[in-house]
Amino acid sequence: MIQFARSAARGGSYSETIGVLVIAAVFVVPWITENPMVYSLANQMLIAITAAFSVYIMLRMNLMTFAVPTFMAIGGYTVAMLGLRHGVTDVLLLGLASFVVPALFALPLGALVLRLTGVYFVLVTFVLTEITQLVLFETPGLTGGSNGLVGMPAVTFFGIELGDNRAVLQVTIGLALVGAIVTAVVTRGLRQHFAAIEENELLAQSLGLVVWHYKAFGFVIAAGVSGLAGFALVNMLLTAHPTSFSALSSVNYIAYTIIGGKSSMLGPIVGGALLIWAGDIFALRGEYSQFLFGFLIVVVVLLARDGIVGTIYRLGVRAVSRRTSSRKSPSAALGVPNAMEPLK
Amino acid sequence: MQGFVATGLIGISLGAQYALLALGFTLIFGILGVVNFAHGGFYVLGGYLAYSLVTYLGAPYAAAVVGAALGTTALGYLFERFVLDRLIDDHLATLMLTLGLYMMMSSGILVMFGPQSPSFTFPLTGVIRGYGFYLPIENLVVLGVCIVGILSIYGLIYHTDFGRALRALADDRAVATAQGLRPTVLFPAAFALATGLAGLTGALVTPILSLAPHVGDPVLATSFLIVILGGLGSVGGATVAAFLVGMVEAFSAVYLGGSKGALALFVLVLIMLVVKPSGLFGHRVRGA
Repeated sequence: MIQFARSAARGGSYSETIGVLVIAAVFVVPWITENPMVYSLANQMLIAITAAFSVYIMLRMNLMTFAVPTFMAIGGYTVAMLGLRHGVTDVLLLGLASFVVPALFALPLGALVLRLTGVYFVLVTFVLTEITQLVLFETPGLTGGSNGLVGMPAVTFFGIELGDNRAVLQVTIGLALVGAIVTAVVTRGLRQHFAAIEENELLAQSLGLVVWHYKAFGFVIAAGVSGLAGFALVNMLLTAHPTSFSALSSVNYIAYTIIGGKSSMLGPIVGGALLIWAGDIFALRGEYSQFLFGFLIVVVVLLARDGIVGTIYRLGVRAVSRRTSSRKSPSAALGVPNAMEPLK
Repeated sequence: MQGFVATGLIGISLGAQYALLALGFTLIFGILGVVNFAHGGFYVLGGYLAYSLVTYLGAPYAAAVVGAALGTTALGYLFERFVLDRLIDDHLATLMLTLGLYMMMSSGILVMFGPQSPSFTFPLTGVIRGYGFYLPIENLVVLGVCIVGILSIYGLIYHTDFGRALRALADDRAVATAQGLRPTVLFPAAFALATGLAGLTGALVTPILSLAPHVGDPVLATSFLIVILGGLGSVGGATVAAFLVGMVEAFSAVYLGGSKGALALFVLVLIMLVVKPSGLFGHRVRGA
């Protein structure tokens, strides 16, 4: 039983691999169908998932960020400017820029905002997205102001133009895959460091963990991943416009992560895919999807704190452990509390 | 000079509205430790309740304002009592819950009333011409009601047993509870008071500014701004910061144009949060 409990505790370690494989598997979609509806849905899902990864990385450290649209905007506008003004169209270069530039912006910003925790961090990141909007509107010379940047050239891959629907989806999948791999490597590699910070930052520090390093690193990586999502969004819409990066869009990315489940990397994937799909069903009237998201957030926070993935996993573990333990000890069958179940 | 005085008056009247809004927001954080993302939602709901009462039931405007305040108070009470109270000590959970409520409220309003702004106008019109300035009567009425509201809140918080109980709970809940104060009764009441204030402000202000399902977003952002500037949870700080923000908005709109004033304010608040998270006047009210 102890063996089992231990493997259950480590159970999350496969979720990163599965997560990356799931994203990579989407490459099949452009091969098997040419349905533009499917393409559009897949594009939206992957962008949502990539942005949600960013929220997920920050939640590893118990920091809830509203700043995802800020870094998406930096990534997206970087790509648009490079394409429009400097004629850079190579997808690898643009992808690199969309990751690195937001990450560079995140360094000084992180030095400022990471001093705050809890509610104060939430507020400062919310203020940051509001500032982003105002800056985008107030700098028409640089960002096109309220017109945004339109008409950039199609991206290319070693000279091959990636302009049609299928190619756009392939670019999005590629970006999402990079985002997934980065997220998987970072959250798995630093799992224990992040967990120590999440559990008790002060204690972790007193035990010799240089908390500041890991928080800054996590923030920078999360910014880069957001930037990739920003590139994908701009590439899909063919415009970089302030409304794509509104302050309240960050609420959606948080919703995907929380509803999907914040304890495993599969959470943002399941949450993003399901909610975008659900939004698509209700999309005859877009406002219903917001109602649905809000309702689901309340339900998940009240009843199933681990989100969809966490709840399914917990029910699975309970079912398996009940079967094994009822065979071994009659006490479990009598309804005596199972020592393995987490105390809630 | 004439323009200067007129702009100052607009600033004061904006400041009074913001103060009424921000007082509710800061009370909720100070007493319950909840960041209320639904605050803007209650403002919009107040506006639409008043509009519905006037348009569909033919109620006089003053009665509609009272009705809107009561309606938002009731909704706030029920939400705190049956939803928020179950996780009241978890800051991020309560934040998510109010966020969920806000999404439901704003999309609910959108579905019921449509995206267009309904025609909802203030019943009194006219302008007072003073010595070198103009002041619309509607602004004067709103200013009066807001100031009465702000003073009543102060009286309630600092001069009644209810207020003392709330402040005791904000100060040290364990001790206050041991002394016999009951959070299960007082918390919903405090939350209801704050949402009622937001509803009242919405009912008063939306006929002058504008009423549409999305006007809650900037209201939420402004409330954030004021409350951070004044110190989260600080009643006095929020009042002063509200008038400050009102003034800055009025003058920058007239003399700078565009949203440069708002940008300056946001950057100021960002710096404030980082350098002195407790705000201009506050000490850190509670760890979060």
